[in-house]
Amino acid sequence: MTGSRKISQWLTNALLIFAVFMVGGPFLWVLLGSFKTEQAINNPLQLLFVPTLENWSIVIEGGSFTRFGILSAQVLPPAVLVFPFLAMAYALRLNDTLVAVTVAHISLVLPVVTWFLIGFFEAVPKEIEEQAQVDGLGRFAAFRAVVLPQVAPGLGAAAVFGFVLSWNDLFYALILAPGNAKTLPVAIAGFNTFRGVQLGAMCAAILVSVVPVLIASFFVQRRLVRGISGGSLKY
Amino acid sequence: MASISLQNVTKRFGDVTVVEDLDLELEHGQFTVLVGPSGCGKTTTLRMIAGLEETSGGRILVGDVDVTGLEPKDRDIAMVFQNYALYGHLSVRRNIGFPLKARGVAKEEIDLRVTEVAESLSLTHLLERLPGQLSGGQQQRVAIGRAIIRQPKAFLFDEPLSNLDAKLRLEMRTELLRLQRQLGVTAVFVTHDQEEAMTLSDKVVVMRDGRVAQQGTPASVYAEPADTFVAAFVGSPTMNLLPGEVADGVFRSATPGLVLPTEGMVPGPVILGLRPEDALLTPGGSDGTIDLVELLGPRAIVRVRCAEIALTTVVEGSALAGITEGATVGVQARPGSLHAFDPDTQQRR
Repeated sequence: MTGSRKISQWLTNALLIFAVFMVGGPFLWVLLGSFKTEQAINNPLQLLFVPTLENWSIVIEGGSFTRFGILSAQVLPPAVLVFPFLAMAYALRLNDTLVAVTVAHISLVLPVVTWFLIGFFEAVPKEIEEQAQVDGLGRFAAFRAVVLPQVAPGLGAAAVFGFVLSWNDLFYALILAPGNAKTLPVAIAGFNTFRGVQLGAMCAAILVSVVPVLIASFFVQRRLVRGISGGSLKY
Repeated sequence: MASISLQNVTKRFGDVTVVEDLDLELEHGQFTVLVGPSGCGKTTTLRMIAGLEETSGGRILVGDVDVTGLEPKDRDIAMVFQNYALYGHLSVRRNIGFPLKARGVAKEEIDLRVTEVAESLSLTHLLERLPGQLSGGQQQRVAIGRAIIRQPKAFLFDEPLSNLDAKLRLEMRTELLRLQRQLGVTAVFVTHDQEEAMTLSDKVVVMRDGRVAQQGTPASVYAEPADTFVAAFVGSPTMNLLPGEVADGVFRSATPGLVLPTEGMVPGPVILGLRPEDALLTPGGSDGTIDLVELLGPRAIVRVRCAEIALTTVVEGSALAGITEGATVGVQARPGSLHAFDPDTQQRR
């Protein structure tokens, strides 16, 4: 190895270390910060300190840990998740079926919809549910009779949201069911053939695919507006 | 209708004891008010009676039935929450009829009873509206209607008047009292407002740090507060509490300024309690200067400074001549009106 190559190798390494530090540094700081007390956290250079679990207990007891846990799958890129799904689908002989796509979509849609609905449920005062219990209902009956109707607009919106998310997905559907059970987005992508793109047919297919979304949104939007304005009550 | 009895009831949230070893007898047909500052455990106590909060120890009896482990729905107790907790998606009619429907009462019967209750609360013209379309006072009446429709064993009220404006609060207070007298029900009412407690209750229970500081009729609690906490909490304006010493039949405040004759009071260090209405601004006694006059209409709250002591007094409108800010007055106590508390234990002597 010549001297100049050595220097260039050394420079490359130095740059890489610098890059790693730039990316990893903030994470390291956050990691350390999560174990620091309020006083110690104000000194970012302080590497020696008595660690505390207080911050973690706040997050876990406050429920936000579970809340973020629900979304943890969303942190991973779909490409990481789709191959285990494909392997499982093969093992269960479910490849190229809508069942495989449905299961994959549930893992994708359910956390997002759950997250979306948390706010709606939190907006219903706890007293409503308690009042129904005092009025003579069991816990679940109270939930069904007075809490669910209050979040109905939210449920509708979440339904459309989840539907659109699933309806428009190309990636999972393309890999899990590219053949006989292909979904609309996969079929639309199919107009891009090795002979070129059949633009006209693709446009028509796109319009067809938009119609159900529009219809669903229309009905839910009407209910959503009525639900929010009609039954609203200041607590 | 039934009495409610709490026996050694304790409630802990983790390491924090909110209610400790509470013994309470809430008598049949009586209006009992639990009163105390925020965090004294009064709402938790109410919620334990309703079954919304499990007890950590002790027993709760409604009539002769031990309800300690029962679900709220099996206790046959009605409750009115601070925010009324009306079902926003149901009409007033269905809100009021809800407890009957939840218990599977026939529709015709529900209609009949809702009509009766709505009439008694002047809600008939609002029956088809949604709660969101009602004013605060109307919502309050719907919540009360929903509580009285099924004739429960007892009513629980969790600060139901605190969301109303001052005028409406007075009106609803009178209405609640009238309703309770008319129905003759056992009622438990929670408030932090001592004035509300005094006016509504047959029996007032003053709570502090999860324990009963004192219980009795409003008149007895007012006349003979058990300790300095109750003395300061009950009554408006607040009782003057003055550390000092009794010697030779005379009280001298620790901070110089006030000297008052005391009849038959044990000599030695004392915290002297003087209700503002018992402090008389007449010639003679200790010298004072008037700091501030707050006119309330029929009477005025007058702040007087006797050397370094600030004293609150109440003066009737008819006696306000010459009471102006900056004027010099004599301060005396109404004979026999003084309260003495032990400086160490804070208990009444």
